[in-house]
Amino acid sequence: MTGLVYKEWKHNRFFILLMIACGLLPFIMILYNRDIVTNTDEMYNFRIICTVIAFLAAGGIQTMVLMGDDRKIWGYWITATPEGYRGFIRVKYEMVFAMIVLFITSLQTFDRLFCAAAADKGWELTGSISSVAVPLAFLQIILRATDIPFALRYGNKKGGITKLIYSIAFVIIISVLILTNAGNFSVILYESGEKLFTEDNISLALGIVCMIALTAYYLSYRISCRVYLKGVEQYDH
Amino acid sequence: MTTKKENIKRLGIYLLIVAASSAMPFVYFKLMNASQTGFFIVAELFCAAPALANLITRKLTKEGFRNMKLHLHLTENIRYYLLAFALPLLCTALMYIPAIIICDHSEWLSGFTLNNVVTAVLMLAAQGAVMSAGLIGEELGWRGYMNQKLEPLVGIIGTVLIGGAVWSLWHLPSDMQGYLAGRETLSETMKSVGGRLLIMPGYAAFYLWLTKKTDSVWPAVLAHAMGNASQSAIAELLGMGNIPEAASLPSWTDVLEYVPMIIIAMFFVVLLLREKKKIPQTA
Repeated sequence: MTGLVYKEWKHNRFFILLMIACGLLPFIMILYNRDIVTNTDEMYNFRIICTVIAFLAAGGIQTMVLMGDDRKIWGYWITATPEGYRGFIRVKYEMVFAMIVLFITSLQTFDRLFCAAAADKGWELTGSISSVAVPLAFLQIILRATDIPFALRYGNKKGGITKLIYSIAFVIIISVLILTNAGNFSVILYESGEKLFTEDNISLALGIVCMIALTAYYLSYRISCRVYLKGVEQYDH
Repeated sequence: MTTKKENIKRLGIYLLIVAASSAMPFVYFKLMNASQTGFFIVAELFCAAPALANLITRKLTKEGFRNMKLHLHLTENIRYYLLAFALPLLCTALMYIPAIIICDHSEWLSGFTLNNVVTAVLMLAAQGAVMSAGLIGEELGWRGYMNQKLEPLVGIIGTVLIGGAVWSLWHLPSDMQGYLAGRETLSETMKSVGGRLLIMPGYAAFYLWLTKKTDSVWPAVLAHAMGNASQSAIAELLGMGNIPEAASLPSWTDVLEYVPMIIIAMFFVVLLLREKKKIPQTA
């Protein structure tokens, strides 16, 4: 297992360390634009926008660690090792998860540093970005949980296209169901949304979504293990 | 094989660095009071000091960076990770709730509805999964290094007691902040220092057991994060109840706060001793 961790570190250390830089990104953007933002509310909104941009950048980098392993020879070789392809996939999942954790830790650390520096300057900052950053981190976990099986099953390039096709098909189906109100779908969706996200339930709903994200990530690992060998057979080289 | 002398030397260097880090908030007290940025930087360095001390000691003594216990070992140890999540939460609840029930103030617990408790547990689980990594700054030092050096020298009980005491005394700067800033009296500060000295060996025994069982510091990191986060979760649930503003419990109930951790300490020390007996002794 140590060997696989070492291999991932040697291949992807640049991307892993970039997670720290992504956490620093909002801090730099705010410093660069500090003259444009004039009041406390604007500053909070600007911090949120910068945080979302940082999440997009980090998400893009996280998918890059899936590149380079979609080769037949690597697939056969890793299957023949004592750890097997399951060990390889497990380390991949652990690494991507660690990248998300590293990013959120870095983001929150730099945000706290920014708040401390702002307080020294006499600015009063309202709210912590955690209320936005933590749900976004779980959204990122769900997104990676969908990315990885596609990348392993179809190869990185084809996997991206296949995922896009599935996503578009899913959006079209949902849109058609909503627009035509087939089987009372729109009403059921609206009513269950209204019930779930009441003021009393919002924290509970958020907690459930977070747990669903973690479960989805684990299920994604199990799916990847199932489809990996089929994928290896179809890799281009 | 490391000799006893080598072990003492390595532990000595490690403790010296940790002690220096503990002195840092006192040295920079003025800076920390004058500037929020200064406070943040010193506090972050202080929190990461045990891990840094581990790395520096390994480098200085040319010990190398093996056996850092950084592997997750997740698949085969999932039950220990679950225990690392659940036990600190249960302990924190048992530290505060029985005293309220014994004193016949059950109405104070009206915030503990099924909905609120499930929400708190789910939010803690979510937090634990993505936000506990920061505690590696402490656990990599205490469980990832100090315990490994202490155990061959002083045995299991010594590691729990001495390790727990060192760990709690390292928190002295944060315990003393209120007194130094004039917000607390010396007796209040000493009470929290003493309380920590009683509680920490309990946690130390549990974390040592987790680390030895899984050969990884990560369950201890999770348990530590849960121990910290569950205090605010329980306080939040209590805050939702019907507690009058001037409410207080008799002073003897303070003793009840320490009972769960003392039981935990004894339970895990017994487990550790039993498991040590099972390992065949080499000449």
